[in-house]
Parts: sequence; C-alpha cells; structure tokens
Amino acid sequence: MNNEEKFTVPATKFVESPEGYELKVSLPGIGKEDTELHVEGRTLVLKAHSKYQNPAGFRQIAAEFEHENFAMSADLPEMADTSALSAKLENGLLTVTIKKRPETQPKSIEIL
Amino acid sequence: MNTILNIDPWGFLDDLFGVPNRTFREMRARAAGRFPPVNVFLDDNAILLDMQLPGKTAKDVSLTLEPEAVIIADRPATEEGKEPARPAWSRRLDLPFRVNADKANAKFTNGILRIELPKAEKDGVKHIAIQ
Repeated sequence: MNNEEKFTVPATKFVESPEGYELKVSLPGIGKEDTELHVEGRTLVLKAHSKYQNPAGFRQIAAEFEHENFAMSADLPEMADTSALSAKLENGLLTVTIKKRPETQPKSIEIL
Repeated sequence: MNTILNIDPWGFLDDLFGVPNRTFREMRARAAGRFPPVNVFLDDNAILLDMQLPGKTAKDVSLTLEPEAVIIADRPATEEGKEPARPAWSRRLDLPFRVNADKANAKFTNGILRIELPKAEKDGVKHIAIQ
C-alpha cells in the first residue's frame, strides 16, 4: 500500500444551545473544494485533503505541523435534525450548524 | 533509557543559530499547546514562516518586525470603554539574518499565515568611501 493516505482527527468543539448544536472543526490549510461532508444516518462524516505545500526550493529548519489530511465522524444526538444541517468553511475553520428536531422543542401550553 | 528521552530534537538549531536561542526554546514549549505551530523554511535569500491559525484573519493577528526577530501575537478584540485585553499568546522568533522590512509580506490562506522575510541585501554592511 504505497499510496496509503494518512488522516488526522481534527480538533473540534461541539456546543449545544436550546435551538440546536454547533460543531466547529479546525482544518488549517483546507479549502472548501478539498472538503467532503455528508451524513449517513445519524453519523456526520468529514474528509478533507490538504493542498498545503512546503515552499519549493527552501530548506525546512523547523517543523511543528505537517501536510495533514483530516477525517472524522461523529454521531449526532437523538434530538438533532439531520435534514437541517448547514456548514461553512472560512479561513480553515469549519462550522456545522445543526437544528434540533421541531418536536423536541419546548411548547408552551395555553391555559384555557 | 533516560538518555534517549532526554535528547532534545531541536538542539541542533541552537547550534545553528547560537545558544541560547529563544526561538527554538519556544518551539519546545509549543509541545505544551501554548502556541500555534509554525514551520520555518530558509534559503539563501529569505526566511519563510508558516503558522497554523484556523479561523483567524489579518485583524486577529499582530506582526512586529525587529531587525533580527519577528513577533507574532494574538490581537484580542477590543471592546469600547474597556482596557485592551492581553494577547492570549505571543511568539518571538529570532531570525538568522537581518531582513528587509520593506519587502516583507504576510498572507493568510485557509487559516495558514505565511510570512515571507527577504534577507537584507548587504546584511547591514555599509561601505565608506575613503577621502
């Protein structure tokens, strides 16, 4: 397997609010065209191929990060509405916004 | 066994740029997750620094160039009527040569900041004509 691809699990942050969830994923060096994001059942699957290149003709004298491809999957909570997902990738930070299913939202009951 | 664990992988850089070298001491401190990671590249004419800063843009970072060092720091958002917050992190990287500040440039691409610092042409040497 010479062409085996390596993937790193990216740093993530998952926040819940009364209306939904927000998932933030650090994808430094990754552009929109390099990212695949889809939902399989309740599982969110992310794959990103890095196009980050070391500058040609330079000698590397310190290396604290690499050309990283990122991959992760996450099971979304029961209350998540998998049909109401939106995602944006800005400056190497992916934000996925997930709404909660409408029937899980609190309802106020009118007292007659 | 302990000797192996005590080997400092960045030690050779101290030899390269003089001891003690703050730049690479800080890089080791980075292992503790206190600084954004940086890659450093060198050729005969320039030094290139790539820093991972996902989600950041030009307004979130401050760059200060000294004759032989560059300081990259977080620029906290200022709230009106409040004292400016302290930067969450700041990295000072010593440079192996004097750089031409006028030709330096920095650019963000997908959360990676690339700073290009061309070497000062005469490395600070001035020729004096003898009368």
